Order: sequence, then structure tokens, then C-alpha cells
Amino acid sequence: MSNSDLSERLDVEGGTFRQWLNPLNKPLRHKIGLLVLLLLAVLPVALTSSEALIFASAFFFAMFAMSWDLVSGYTGQISFGHTVFFTVGGYSAALLNMEMGLSPLMTIPAGVLVAALAGLVIGVPTLRLRGPYLSLVTLIAPLILFGVFRYFPIFGGESGLSGEIDNLFGLGFNDVIPVYYLAFGLFVVVLTVLLAVTRSDAGRIFTAIRESEDAVNSAGLNPAKFKIFAFVLSAAIGGLAGAAFVHTPSASPTPNTLLALAINIEIIIAVFIGGAGTIVGAAAGGLFFGLTRSFLEGSELVIPVANVAIAEVYLILLSVIALVIIYALPGGLLRGSIVGGRRVLNRNSDEDVATDGGEMVNPVAQILNNYRDFLGGDDDER
Amino acid sequence: MVDILPIVISSIVKGSLYALVAVGFTLIFGVGGVLNLAHGATITIGAYAAYLIGEGYALGAPGAIAGAIIVPGLFGALMYIVLIRRVQDDPVIVMIMTLIASIGVESLIGQIGPSGQQPQILVSGNTPEVLGVSVQYHELLIVFVSLALIGALFLYVNRTDTGRAILATSQDRKGAFLVGIDSSRINLWMWVLASVLAGIAGLFLIPSEGLSADMGLWPLIFSFAIVILGGLGSIRGSVVGAYVIGTVEVMTTSLVDPKLTGLTPLLLLLVVLFVRPSGLFGQEVQV
Amino acid sequence: MVAGRSHDTNREDIDMNDNRTIPVDRRSFLKATGATAAATGLAGCRGSSDSGGFKVGVLAPLSGETSDIGQSMANGAKLAVEEINGEGGIDGSDVEVSVKDTEGDPSTAKQKYQQDLALDEDVDVTTGVFTSEVLMSLMDAIAENETVHLTTGAATPEASQLVSDSYDKYKYHFRTGPLNAVQLGQNVATFALNVFPDIDWNRVYLVMENFDWTRPVQDVIEPKLRDSSDIEVVGADRFSPQQTDYGTLYDRVENADADAALVAMGNTGGQAVTSWSRGQRPFGFGGIHIPGQLPSFYGDTMGAPAYSITQNVATPTSELTDKTQDFIGAYEDKFDSLPIYTGYITYDALWQYATVAGDLDGDPGNADDVITGLEESSYTGAIGTIEYHGEGQRFAHDVIYSQDKVNPVFQQWQPDGNGGGTQEVIYPEDFATADYMKPNWI
Repeated sequence: MSNSDLSERLDVEGGTFRQWLNPLNKPLRHKIGLLVLLLLAVLPVALTSSEALIFASAFFFAMFAMSWDLVSGYTGQISFGHTVFFTVGGYSAALLNMEMGLSPLMTIPAGVLVAALAGLVIGVPTLRLRGPYLSLVTLIAPLILFGVFRYFPIFGGESGLSGEIDNLFGLGFNDVIPVYYLAFGLFVVVLTVLLAVTRSDAGRIFTAIRESEDAVNSAGLNPAKFKIFAFVLSAAIGGLAGAAFVHTPSASPTPNTLLALAINIEIIIAVFIGGAGTIVGAAAGGLFFGLTRSFLEGSELVIPVANVAIAEVYLILLSVIALVIIYALPGGLLRGSIVGGRRVLNRNSDEDVATDGGEMVNPVAQILNNYRDFLGGDDDER
Repeated sequence: MVDILPIVISSIVKGSLYALVAVGFTLIFGVGGVLNLAHGATITIGAYAAYLIGEGYALGAPGAIAGAIIVPGLFGALMYIVLIRRVQDDPVIVMIMTLIASIGVESLIGQIGPSGQQPQILVSGNTPEVLGVSVQYHELLIVFVSLALIGALFLYVNRTDTGRAILATSQDRKGAFLVGIDSSRINLWMWVLASVLAGIAGLFLIPSEGLSADMGLWPLIFSFAIVILGGLGSIRGSVVGAYVIGTVEVMTTSLVDPKLTGLTPLLLLLVVLFVRPSGLFGQEVQV
Repeated sequence: MVAGRSHDTNREDIDMNDNRTIPVDRRSFLKATGATAAATGLAGCRGSSDSGGFKVGVLAPLSGETSDIGQSMANGAKLAVEEINGEGGIDGSDVEVSVKDTEGDPSTAKQKYQQDLALDEDVDVTTGVFTSEVLMSLMDAIAENETVHLTTGAATPEASQLVSDSYDKYKYHFRTGPLNAVQLGQNVATFALNVFPDIDWNRVYLVMENFDWTRPVQDVIEPKLRDSSDIEVVGADRFSPQQTDYGTLYDRVENADADAALVAMGNTGGQAVTSWSRGQRPFGFGGIHIPGQLPSFYGDTMGAPAYSITQNVATPTSELTDKTQDFIGAYEDKFDSLPIYTGYITYDALWQYATVAGDLDGDPGNADDVITGLEESSYTGAIGTIEYHGEGQRFAHDVIYSQDKVNPVFQQWQPDGNGGGTQEVIYPEDFATADYMKPNWI
């Protein structure tokens, strides 16, 4: 939000590598982030078996959300059809495994490759379009893929691929702890890769594209190239998550698991809850959403007056939460809490509150401003 | 060998139904510059309102018609006032919000509403055979009501002051503001009008498709194809587009392969989008 | 938040008040380590010994379009368990039933099976499962869990193919009903060859929803009818279940000048048959039509299925065995509605399981002993005499289809003259209650 935050940016050149590695030298929000990862790493001891499986699924959902955030949160090219890449990755891996007997260790990289290719094929013509036209194309891409699935029997139509699919490392649903760590490990890898990319120069150009393509153009850079790069990388990561997902006991390669429009909307809701254009927000929002969904679905709670089971209306609850957040906390919960936390810290350390003081005058105007900031937004991680 | 008459009839019926949906979709875009992805949910709301009021409260066809007009109209107004007005300058945020709203509405209806009911809520029976073909009265009704409503819309936009204000707003919002047109009110009015048309389409879908929470999804998707084909924002283009898409759809099912249903309009959409993104007709509301 | 969730309200051993105040982590930790222990080789110790009773898991779609079918599964299971407990349970211990909603979705079903039934509740036997897709998504989990499963609502022969090909891995799967899709096709073909010439269905057009289960049905029926000199197949279409304009589809049938549409339809059937009767199409309609199997379907749709024919396990007036009417009566008393085919099958499946487990020489908690017991069992229930194909056979562990064992009936919805309709059996002759009626518009 303000220039003083720039110094907090992850910056290796500012000190020795050892200093950089030391978590104590990190800004508070990085410490919190590392602490959360550490907690997640030891969490299985406190979980029942079925809860551990729920977490594993949530990690995959968070990976989907992060891959979406790279394209839509960063470059501002809102994709409603990202499930295409999860599906292409997942189906490719599953089909190679089922039909040709390749091991998951081969089919997952193959799935990534095919998904990246799909990203290129869809991305190049699509990214020429702007605004609603682009979103419309991404919206119908999954529908076309679905039409193809329905037409050719090998894809199993509505019901997806059925049959024996080998699990990665042969892990079944009884091996809950390894399955948890498998998902968690992949989650950390994806998180790290995406953080590295978005905190690099390329990441800054992505955000610049979101703000103004023309400005990027006039700086002598080709925005199309960067948009396509973001698109393909995002597709590859989505494909990786999809391919790995179908090789775990938690998922089957079916349209409902990978392709449905509802999944893309859930991802959008999740990322908006966490905060778009931050990766960390997408990771947190994805985890939060994935877990909340599972636990609400399994809960026996009943909303008192309406007498409706929460399990049946979780999606409505979460959509309402997302809509409220888009209004009230346009940067998402994560950004909101960082800003809020910083304000508290600032107050304690007697630093000037005045930099943030402008919005005190007119909260509504500030909300609108924040909201514009966020879509035309100013930076990547606040 | 193949009887051409039933294909023509089915195409006209489909086209008339899609036209109701697509015209509303394009009105909102033409005037407000935003895509309302909750348009499909509005169809569902219209159908359920008609069913619950007409059958549930036993108010028959008049109740069903009133339900299909009033409830979606209110929903459209609420959508605009509560969700859209504050973010209407950002088409992408509007898409996201309408999409989220629509999935919320549909999952609510799916959980608490009935499904599968398919009553003949307005008329029943078939016409006597003409040239060896007999048509359901229901289908005739769709064609006539659709033609009448769209004809009335043309007259309204061309002949009345409000209509001209709509045209003016769609062409140049700032200019319209300068001559004293309240664009927010025009937008609200468009959302209501479009939602009512969608609600009526929902009413018409009950006897053929039956109630289900996602019954509005495919008509909405076809609307994408229709408005891209006809040019986003063009009323005339949408009507023509609706009959084209209806015909393409029926021909695919009847002459090629029923498994391809739904796919051809989407492929057509892609081709138009990449070759001639402005569609066959222009940009703003045109008649 | 996570650990405090009281997700297993069925567990009687946890005091609800305690659950709220005691840090739950200890229990969770024990469970987690317990699960790891089980995974490392103690998996054999499941069964009656740990909970003091038998627990039956039922997987059924309780929400969505097919909830009627799932509800009847759940009801059939509850009725069976109530009766079994009334007669002293299995080996003297009571049976508990836990029903999970699959929402008709393969991955949801898989999650419910793995997380809820296998890991959390450690059930002794599972049953239910509607649609082939859901069943196939569960086969590996069933194998891994090494717990007997009795399918009561999915027809795909791929499941028995797995049992046949890798018996040791998949032997836990049995299909009490319905017949598998190949047998269903044979049954429809037999009906067609015997009945169609008499009712003037000489030119037939195959109309199949494009789901897994209809493929073998079509593969069996089509060549048999094409070989017949009485019947001509004038067309065959597979249509997309999600988005089809039935009017146009029937135009194709009409253009082919067919006497009848021979159908195989699940969820899609409601809309399809309504479009047929409202459009007063000049051809008959019959085959396997799952909505038409529901006793309430005629009333719910104001007569839409009138004159349509479908295969069915039984109708409310059927007397396939001595037990058929007893079951229907008890079901109606308890649930105030009539059973659907999945209800009959699930009821029989659990009674057969209880009978086998109760008579066992070995440990009724030992899956291998139960499997042997089921393979050797011949149990006469409400739908007929249930026996299973054995190891090494093509349809290993599928119910045996034969005239004197399990043999479906064909029913026609006939208007009763007062605005209602009844399911009248028209074939086989032994059970027939009426003759075929031509649609009144033809």
C-alpha cells in the first residue's frame, strides 16, 4: 500500500544468504506464514484418519486456487475455465495409466506437459481478446471439452473414467499419513515455485499488465508474451495438481471432480476470500475453502430458524461470505489482516497513522478505492 | 426420406425460446456494458416461482404467469441495486459477482426446491394434423408469445421516450447523462425487463424440460453463442442469432447425432469470436 | 475447530458432554496411530470384536434427482436390520445401520466410503450404491478395505469382470441386484423376441441414454434383434443425458417409421417419457425405464408414463415368492410408501448377509468366511432365489439370472380410468396381471 512496505519485500541482495534464511529476520507476516506451514507439517498427529484425507483434498484444492491466481489474480485475465487444465492434466495421466499401464511417476509429468500444451493452444488466441470476450471464451472452454468427452466413449462422458487407476507410490486410503504428506509436499512445492515467479521481475510485469497493458507496451516489453507465459505456467501447475490428484485415493477422474463450472466458481470464491493476486492468499483461501466445505458437508448442524442442514447449503454460505468480502474487504482476508495488523503495530510503535488516515474520512470511498486498487491494484502481496 | 417440416417447426420453437433469453441478456449488456451470468439462474427462478404459485397455491395458469413475471423482476431489481450498481463500471467484477450469485441461488433451489416436475402448466394437448404434422399447443404458445413480446420491445425502444433514453444510454452514457438521463434508473429498468423475459422463458421450459435447479444453464450458454453471433448489445442481432442457433441445434440433433447436442453452437461461437468478434451486427443497442 | 467436530454422532461410546470439554486431541491421536497400525498389518482384526455389534454401511443417493431410489435403498436396509434385530441379530449381537448420502456422485461416494464408513466407523459390511459409475469408483476402495460389499443398484459388468480377473483382490464385491447389464440385455431381448411380434412392434428403434450401463445392454439386444426374422431394427441412437431435445430425437424415430422405441433410460427417463406421451408420438415405448419402475411415478407426473413398458424387479401386486407381499406390506407400514426396486434388493441383500453370517461355522467378522458363505448360499427373498456366480466364472459374484431364480418382470403403466394408473405385469405369463394395451392415440 505504501512505499515503506517495499523494504519488506523478500530481498536476498539486502543481506547475506544466511541472514535471509533466518526466519527471525523476516517480517512478521512471513514468520506467521512459516509458522503455519510448520503447524501443517506436524498436524497429522492431531487428526483422525478421515480428517487427514480431508486435508489432503484441501491441499489439492489450494493448488488449483494458486494456479488460477497466477493468471487471474496477477495479470487480471479472469479465467472462468481453468478447470480445463486440471482436467486435461488429470485425464491424460489417468488414461495413460489405465490404457497403457504407465506408472504414475511417468503419467504425472506427461499430464503436466499436455496441460501446458493446452494452455498454449487456448492461451495464444484467447489472450488477444479483452474484457468480456476473453472471459466468455474461458467460460465455454470447459463446456466444449465436456462436449468432446460426451462424444468419444473413451472419455466416459458425464461419468468420467472408471476402472483401475494406480495410486502414486501405491498409497491407498488406509495410508492416510503418507497421503497427507504427499499432498502437503506438493502444496509446498507449488507454493514455493509460484512465490518465486511472482516475486521476480516477471511477477512485477504481470501486475503491471493488470494495471495497464499499454504502459507495459510503451516500456518496450511485450505484454502478450508475459500473459502467455503466465497462462502456460498456470496451466502446467493446474495440470500437475490434476494429474497428481487422480493418482491419490481421494479423487477420481470425473467431470464433477475436475471440470465442473462449480469448481471454477469455488476457486474464485476461495481466492477472493483469501485475497487475489497474492498466491499466499490463494493458498490460504483454498485451504480454508476446501476444509470448510468438507467439514460443513459432513456436519450435522442445522440452521435454527430455516431448519435446513448446513451440509446442504454450505455453498450458499460461502458464496455470501465471498460477496461480502468483495465488498467489505476487497483485498481478501489475508490482505485485510495484514493491513489491519500493520495498523495495530504502527499504532503501538507510535508511527504515523496518517498515511492510512485518508480513508477514515469516508469509508465507503475507501472501500471503492480499495476495490479498484485490487483489480487495477497496486502491488502483489498486500 | 427425412421429413423437413418437423425440423423447421422445432427450429422455430427453439429459436423463439432462445430469443426471449438472449434479448434480455443483450439488453443488459447494451445498456450497462456488463454480462449478467445470473441470467440462467433467473430462468430457474421464473420457472420455480411459476410452479410454486401456479401449482403449489393452486392458482393455475394466471398465478403461474404472475409468478414468472413478478418474482424474476424483483430478483433482477435486487441484483442490480444490491450487487451490481456499485461495481457496474467493472465488467469482470460483475461477471464474477453474477456467477457467484447464480451458483448460490441454484444450489439453494437445488436443496430446498422440488425437481423433475413437468406439469403442463399453461395449455395441454396437440393441434389437429396439418400436412401430416401435429404441434403441441404449448409450442405454438411459445412462438406467439415470444414474437409478441419481442415485437412490443422493438416498438417500445423505438417509439417511446424511455426507449429513446435506453438507446441514448447504450450509445453514450456520458452524453445521455448530459441531456438529463439517469443512467442508473435506465440500468435498473433493463435488469427488471431482462429478468422478466428470462422468467417467462423459465415458465415455458417447465413442460418440456421439467424443474431442475440448473434448467437455466443451457439456455444461458446458448445465449452466449447467440449474442456473440448477433453482436453483443444488438437486439435485432440476438433475435436473428437465436433462430440461427435454434436451427443449428435442431439440425445437429436430428440430422447428425444426438450426442453432439450443445456442442455445435459453442464451436460456432468460437469461430465467430476469433474471426469477427463484433458479431454479425453492431455494438450498442440496435433495432 | 477441526478436532472438535463431532463427526461421528453414531458412536455410542462417546459421551457428548465429555466430547465437548475434554481436549479431543488425545482421542484423535489414538485414532490416527491406530489407523497407521492397521495399515501396517493389523488390518485383519476388524469385525464384531471391536464394537460389540455389527455395523452395516449403506451408500445411497439421498439428495438430487435420484433421491427416491436412494431413499428406498436406505429404507430397505433399515427394515431388514430392524427385522434381523427382532430375531436376535447376528450371532446374538445387534446390527446397527449407518446411511451415507453419495449425492449420486462417484467422488463423493468414494469419500464417504473411505472416510466415513471405512475409517471412522469401521463397518462390517456395506451395501447400496446406485449407478455403475459410482460403483466403479468404489471398487478399489472396497478391495483395499477388505470388507464385504453387496451392490444393490448398479448394473455394470465391469465390476464382476474385475472379480473374475483378479479374484483375490476384488472378491469382496457381490452384486445382489439388479442383473448386470449383459443379463439385463438378454432379459430384454427374450421379452422382445417373445412379445413384440404379438403386439405389432415389428420395426423397433433403439434409444439409449449415453451412460456406461446401457452400452452392454445395447450390445446384447441389437444383434439378437437383427438376427430375428420377425423384428427389424430401423435405427439406434445414443443420446446425451444432460442436454437433449427429445422432440427432435423422436422425430428421428418417427422418420424411420418405427413401431416402437426400445429404450434404456435411467435419470433421463422422466423427461423422455413425458415428451413421448405429450407429443402423442405414433410409436410404442418400452424397455428398461427406471423412473417408470417407481410406483409413485404415474401420480407424480400426472400420467406421463401411461402405456409405457419397463422391466422391473417386482410391482406392488407381484407375488414372485412367498416373501414378496410380506415385504411390501411391512415396508408400506413402516415408511408409508411403496418400495422401489432398490429397496427390494437391499432388503434381500442384508437378510441374505445376516443369514449367512449367522449360520457361519467360522467368525462372522471374518470377511473370507463370509465370502465363502455367500458363494455357497441360496437365499429366497422378496425378489426370487438369490445365488451368486462363483470364482472363475465370467460374472463372478453377480446374482444368477435364470427363470427359477431371479427373473425380472415386464410391466406396463395402464390408466385405471379414474385418472390414476397401475403397474400391470404383462410378461412373463406366470406373473402376468393384464394384457398389453395400445396407447389410445395410436
